[in-house]
Amino acid sequence: MTMGFLDNITLGLSIALSYHNLLYCFLGVLLGMVIGVIPGIGVLASISMLFPITFYLDPTTALIMLAGIWYGSSYGGSTAAILLNIPGTPSNAVTALDGYPMARAGRGGVALFMTTIASFVGGSIGILVMTMFTPVIAPYALRFGSAEYFSLMVFGLVAASTISGGSVAKGLAMVVAGLMLGTIGADMYTGVPRFSFGFFELTESVSLVALAMGMFGISEVIATVRRIKPGDIDVDSVGLRAMLPTRDDWRRSWLPTLRGSGIGSFFGTLPATGPAVAAFMAYAVEKRSSSDPERFGKGAVEGIMAPEAANNSADQTAFIPTLSLGIPGSPTMALMLGALLVHGITPGPALLTESSDLFWGLVMSFWVGNLMLLILNIPLIGLWVRLLMLPYTWLYPAIIMFICIGTYTVNNSIFDIWLVLVFGFLGYVMRIFDWPTAPLLLGFVLGPLMENHFRRAMLLSRGDFATFVESPIAATSIILTVVALAWGLWSSQRNRKRRAAALQR
Amino acid sequence: MYSKDYTDIVGGLVLICLGLVFSAYAATHYDIGTIRRMGPGMFPTILGVALAIFGAAQIVPALRRAGNKPDIRVWTPIFVLGACGVFALMLRSCGLIPAVITLTVVASLAELEIRPLRMAAISAILCLASWLIFVVAFGLNVPIARWPF
Repeated sequence: MTMGFLDNITLGLSIALSYHNLLYCFLGVLLGMVIGVIPGIGVLASISMLFPITFYLDPTTALIMLAGIWYGSSYGGSTAAILLNIPGTPSNAVTALDGYPMARAGRGGVALFMTTIASFVGGSIGILVMTMFTPVIAPYALRFGSAEYFSLMVFGLVAASTISGGSVAKGLAMVVAGLMLGTIGADMYTGVPRFSFGFFELTESVSLVALAMGMFGISEVIATVRRIKPGDIDVDSVGLRAMLPTRDDWRRSWLPTLRGSGIGSFFGTLPATGPAVAAFMAYAVEKRSSSDPERFGKGAVEGIMAPEAANNSADQTAFIPTLSLGIPGSPTMALMLGALLVHGITPGPALLTESSDLFWGLVMSFWVGNLMLLILNIPLIGLWVRLLMLPYTWLYPAIIMFICIGTYTVNNSIFDIWLVLVFGFLGYVMRIFDWPTAPLLLGFVLGPLMENHFRRAMLLSRGDFATFVESPIAATSIILTVVALAWGLWSSQRNRKRRAAALQR
Repeated sequence: MYSKDYTDIVGGLVLICLGLVFSAYAATHYDIGTIRRMGPGMFPTILGVALAIFGAAQIVPALRRAGNKPDIRVWTPIFVLGACGVFALMLRSCGLIPAVITLTVVASLAELEIRPLRMAAISAILCLASWLIFVVAFGLNVPIARWPF
């Protein structure tokens, strides 16, 4: 780091505030809001739908827009969670626990207003953490060799697929399936086309866009059609006048918001957890530390502030490992990484020095975007509520069309549309077998990098596996992997017992 | 309810088969190399075996517990995937507008009811949107409408 901190901020602001980037940042957060509000379209599906557009933009602008969709959807997701009890995104599920009772009690407007504030505070604290820590981590990571990277990736993949609480075997199986899909295409050392089965299009590699669109977009449509009914909402309860919180609301809220932001910032950086887990943890902490836990689940304002602050700060800090190490902690981050790779930029410690304008421009655009969301959210609540009532019948043909044309535009390839069909079918089959899709996408993106590091590490160590324990960082990652595995096994066992107990009752 | 969790058992078997076939294909078609100097076949072969192991790990606990009948939809996937398929077939030969209209009609059938008016309205909106966004704004080079024969 040769430049001072202030210089970096100025550089970032000058990029984020350029007319062009402001426009795309606005587009990103607006789309994110819309997508977050409408139930039945996930963030992943929408980012992959808009992924093709980013090929027309320069990498900084592309990332600014994709990131805007990502954190914008968390803002919007709370609206559906509070008013309809349907979380717009998984990370808003916890918000519905107390937000929906608030709406039922005629305090929906207050809840929406307060979550907007919580989201803004959480997002801002997350950005602050990111600005401070990424430059500290990056120079350290510059010394990482292949053995270290491989072990870190193993840890990231194992943690991401096991900690979520589902079946450990299924999560790991899907990681491996993703890695297998990643091996399709030319071998990086010899150029041998692997698993191309005579398809010329497969000698390159499977298109990330086609995979993400099929697996997350199409299969989501298949599972959602005829399932979502537009709800009835009391429009009066969300008018501007009904939004004013009481003094009691403020007094109860500020500490949970700060605590939630802290918890979110921490869990956002970990490879496994991300915003959904962060929101859940924040809620649990508030409920446990409350002097009056009985109020939770019945419309306690703390119960919406803490998780909303947490998921928004986690949205921001999730970028730390992605940008400084090149290891994405969640499928969304994997898509961000994919967007960078497509533009020929390899995320990692060198990113901060070589593309410092990209990094600082992106970080500063987060502030701008969060501010835009604050301004967008409150006066336009009426519009968001109307959007909520849009029936899915009208939406899903549009989703399918955007997915098909969008995929086609990436490589002007009809073959990629057929791939979408194949992955859409696969994604649906995975739903039936209850196999998680997120680990598969992570494995697919990391697969080629992982194989490369594995082979290089083995080459350097002359085939000695001890290289993975000799370096302290690699050894720590391996130990953490074992811990994550044990934790995953334990928690899935516990979840299963609870479910069995619930069934018997 | 099933007496055993057959969904997971079948799923595990599928994983085992997939893994072993993948491994065998990689091992027979590509050079394995040595641990020190790996060929293109090594990593895929390891992965296939790993998938089979995790598949087996999924079966073991499923043998000892009861399971639910999976909820499988038949017609919805056919219409949704069919919409993608007809679009892939028609985009270049018939042009964008006919492809979008056919896509919308096939996709709408996934509702399992036919509402001609709504279908027409959605088609019209999507034709306009796709033309404006992809052809006018992004300059996508596809025929708008043409006779394929």
